Amino acid sequence: MDKTTIICRCEEISYEEIEDVISIGARRFDDVKRLTRCGMGPCQSKICSSLVAEIIHDKTGLPFPEIPLPRMRMPISPIKIGTLTTNSTTFSSVKSVLDEVELEDGKVK
Amino acid sequence: MDTNYETIIIGGGVLGSSIAYHLSDCKKDRILVLDQKFPLAGTSGSTQAWIWVHNKTPSWYAEFNMYSAELFPYLAKKIGDVEYKQTGGLSPFFNEADREKALQLAKAYKEIGIKIKVLSREEALEKEPSLNPNVAGATYSSIDGNVNPFRLVDRYMRAAKKNGVQYSTFNKVTEIQKLHDKFIVVSEKGTFVCKNLILAGGTWSRELGKLVDINIPVNQVRGQILVTEPLKPFLNYTISGVRQTFNGEVLIGYSMEKEGFNRATTLDLIQETANMAVHYIPGLRKAKVVRAFSGIRAMPEDGLPILGSIPGIDRLYVAATHSGMTLSPLIGTLMSELILDGETSVPIDRYSISRFDSLVR
Repeated sequence: MDKTTIICRCEEISYEEIEDVISIGARRFDDVKRLTRCGMGPCQSKICSSLVAEIIHDKTGLPFPEIPLPRMRMPISPIKIGTLTTNSTTFSSVKSVLDEVELEDGKVK
Repeated sequence: MDTNYETIIIGGGVLGSSIAYHLSDCKKDRILVLDQKFPLAGTSGSTQAWIWVHNKTPSWYAEFNMYSAELFPYLAKKIGDVEYKQTGGLSPFFNEADREKALQLAKAYKEIGIKIKVLSREEALEKEPSLNPNVAGATYSSIDGNVNPFRLVDRYMRAAKKNGVQYSTFNKVTEIQKLHDKFIVVSEKGTFVCKNLILAGGTWSRELGKLVDINIPVNQVRGQILVTEPLKPFLNYTISGVRQTFNGEVLIGYSMEKEGFNRATTLDLIQETANMAVHYIPGLRKAKVVRAFSGIRAMPEDGLPILGSIPGIDRLYVAATHSGMTLSPLIGTLMSELILDGETSVPIDRYSISRFDSLVR
């Protein structure tokens, strides 16, 4: 790998960018991700996670078992919002902002 | 690493890093930021990051948010591009009962100089054509917008470091003692001494308070958010619940659950959030979700910021709030003023921790 090698193909993040954030203290894949967008694309770090671990290991000497894996989240593979929707028309925890505006004697508090 | 500092800030999130930057910008004087993990690993890195003013209550709290939102263009000139965009904010409503609320809100806020327009169905659809045609109306304010939270914290951190601020990360504070005019801060990686100590622990404020026997009443609220694949830019405004980022992804969610520090995402909430997405913007039905994430937000017991000195312990300060993204430029500025001059250019008495009855544990 040289400085211009693309590590994250989805977001086109180069070796150099990963190196930079390790130099400011990033030590885990998710730290690198938040600062560079590496792993935020459609593949959700399936391609780049081991490469990033390798760079963290090379730059800091941290043994591999001490470099945590990226946090995987649903839906693992991209799916349409329409697939996730249900027929429910009520909302329990999801709110609208105006729900939080309370009136007192017909006036905003 | 040095062990002797003028000021130590515990917490390197958006608030801690903003205070570090603003303080070091006024006076470069041995400042250390301690973070138990790494900046952005907690609340600051798991947010939609609206810069939001227009329907916060009470009105004086909205005013406080407005002063902070107004600082962003200037801030970006000083610390660099944070992808701040003053898009204007739109809160759609779907029933006529909410219109009365919206009109009252607009009336109350006119008095403090925040312009809120209550839009008719037609006006709302004209502004944001992708909205659900069944919308009843919307409140609108030009002051709202959004920012890239990763960029913002990164820029604060880099600008602070340029000013000589040191960061010690993956370093949890385990003990705090006050000896005469100094604080002894014991952490996993060593013991530090400082004159001023600022607690900016966000969701962990209660735990930090315990180290100094002070009750900092901040609770945790979980929010779950969906991220879509990048779509062509189609949202004109920041909608309360949905916003589009610079690179085209749409962030969706406005949920609040009391689950402590549990950062799981759950299928029921993901489905509810998907329902909200198509309820607001039917066209999103065809967009693909690449990720769901959850963030634990800091929620002071009465919802309002806890800012300023802690009575009874000289030179101990606290900054803990919800809406840290919106408020960070102002809180960073005011806390620096408080530490260096002993007074602030915008009053923060209302936000003092002394408003709570049970200060001492």
